[in-house]
Amino acid sequence: MLPLNVMLALLAALTSLMCTVLLFRAFAANGVRLLLWSALCFVCLTVNNLLLFVDLAVFPDADLRVPRLAAALTGVLFLLYGFLREAE
Amino acid sequence: MIEFMSGAVTMGYLVAAGFFWRFWRQTADRLFLAFAVAFVLLALNQGLAQWIGAADERVGYTYLLRVLGFVLILAAIVDKNLRYGARTSGDGSRSRQ
Amino acid sequence: MEDAAFSDEFCRFLRAAVPTVDAAEVLLLLHREPERWWAAEEVLGALAPSVSLSGSAAAACLAVLLASGLIASGPDKRVQYRPGFGELDAHVRTLAQAYRERPVTLIRVIYALRDSKIQSFADAFRLKGK
Repeated sequence: MLPLNVMLALLAALTSLMCTVLLFRAFAANGVRLLLWSALCFVCLTVNNLLLFVDLAVFPDADLRVPRLAAALTGVLFLLYGFLREAE
Repeated sequence: MIEFMSGAVTMGYLVAAGFFWRFWRQTADRLFLAFAVAFVLLALNQGLAQWIGAADERVGYTYLLRVLGFVLILAAIVDKNLRYGARTSGDGSRSRQ
Repeated sequence: MEDAAFSDEFCRFLRAAVPTVDAAEVLLLLHREPERWWAAEEVLGALAPSVSLSGSAAAACLAVLLASGLIASGPDKRVQYRPGFGELDAHVRTLAQAYRERPVTLIRVIYALRDSKIQSFADAFRLKGK
């Protein structure tokens, strides 16, 4: 049984993965570009969450701050770009 | 470099939360309110991590704020689907799509 | 006027050319006097006091109408109602009718169309799909 903090990190990762899948699915269905940028954001947030999980569970001695921050920053930039362009 | 990225990410989350807040005001869909609060939590998570742990959210359990944010998003998704399932075609709050 | 008059093409027209209720007011004003060349201030003056737009909002409105092929722009920046295609004039007449007979529905539709991209984000999270 994994420790609680690891399971919580996994939960976060699974949630952001679900958001990613749902947003891509909706984009495929109706082509609304806002959904594409949002989906790309959640891909990055999922990577960010997975890296946190790895940081906690797999390599606790490693410091994955820089890749985590890079993923989060990329995700946020995708989202804001999408909002500014596509949502009046 | 880490401080710069951490600050940028925190600001980014807050701006995103602002957008979600506006979308909630425009559409009255609770999902956007949940996303707005979730992104504020993500910003808090990042800001706090920077403040007490040099952007490492493992320190002092700050990452729990992030988890809370995603749990909130999950709850919003569940809420949307439960309400949608309970409502049939008499949905007066949606105009034509 | 029935709901069916709000056809898909009409809604596409609204979505592209009439993003706000104020835009509808501007367009209908120009449509009422099609021979006249209007300056932006005259448009604002004619619409006041029921509609008040800032200078930049009015300019943005007119720019969208110009881009949609509904108005023509003259030498001294005056504009005149001049629909590029026949269907555009039909849509404007539908708009005028809707404004007279079903204003509440028209306003609801205009704002629903504005929000539709944002709403599609929320709708993406319906597991069973739309």
